[in-house]
Amino acid sequence: MDMATTIFFWLFAAGAVLSSIAVVVSRIPLYSAIALILDFFFFAGLYVLLSAHFMAIIQILVYGGAIMVLFMFIIMLLNLRDEHEVVKIRSHHAVAVVLSMSLMAMMGSALLQIVDMKTIPTAETASADTLIATPSRVPGLYGALDEASLDQGFRAKISNWSAGTGKASDGKYRPVDPTAPTVVPTAMSGGTPQHPEPASFGTVEPMSLLLVNRFVVPFELSVLLLLGAMVGAVVIAKKRL
Amino acid sequence: MITITHYLILAALTFFIGMAGVLVRRNAITVFMCIELMLNSVNLTFIAFSKYRIDLDGHIFAFFVMAVAAAEAAVGLALILHLFRHYRSVNVDSAHELRL
Repeated sequence: MDMATTIFFWLFAAGAVLSSIAVVVSRIPLYSAIALILDFFFFAGLYVLLSAHFMAIIQILVYGGAIMVLFMFIIMLLNLRDEHEVVKIRSHHAVAVVLSMSLMAMMGSALLQIVDMKTIPTAETASADTLIATPSRVPGLYGALDEASLDQGFRAKISNWSAGTGKASDGKYRPVDPTAPTVVPTAMSGGTPQHPEPASFGTVEPMSLLLVNRFVVPFELSVLLLLGAMVGAVVIAKKRL
Repeated sequence: MITITHYLILAALTFFIGMAGVLVRRNAITVFMCIELMLNSVNLTFIAFSKYRIDLDGHIFAFFVMAVAAAEAAVGLALILHLFRHYRSVNVDSAHELRL
């Protein structure tokens, strides 16, 4: 199981990176669009590996289906073939590449520090003066955001869900099987995804419960957003403004 | 063993491929597709952290990002269509003046 996850991760990761590069470098917009669809499918595979089944389906339906059909429709409507984009290296190309590469180096160095969690000072190892600067030490501001109380709140949440006493109005996910043993992870320990999550994590049921309870206002607002975008698109694309 | 760091590095990599595309390419539609690529890699970060924390909030955030991306695609492509009608080109350099 774990071996298969590893193999599929590297497969999907390589596919995602290669098709992303294909999107950027291909000269013909239609080929870019096809590479992007391929890329969305690889991302959907990664979402399945992260047990986000609902998001994987939405990714294929909304991104691979709706949005990319729109893109290909526009490309074919405008009849864009090879644009004969000028390939000569201009100064802004160099600036763009240097800028994005240096940003990537910065983010990469930040990410690589996560691998070894011991390099990040904890409440025990850090000296007193570094702890003063931590926002969680400011009383009343982010008072409950230090690691210990986060961890404590997280444990309380999980035991409430397991006991079936967590309210649906909490908007939080309640596991289907309350008798299943739940290993409570510490909030930020280690670098691995923390197992086991509930069997229906990331499926339609908990997602829909969240969307119509705790996140009902943004959910309804997104309806307004989509309506506005639809009307706006029709108005803008009309022959005469 | 695949850790969350693998997913974060992969997301960073695709984000910066998309960013390089936005900065380098001059075709408005390709630039737009690169923006979708960047949005997608951010979604991957959200979902990786969601799994790591066993908390569905990241999925919800990615869901709303997708809704906004759909709206953005509709309006943006309409704008590109209008741009093409006016300049007979989708090169972003052709639209360097504010007046029509």
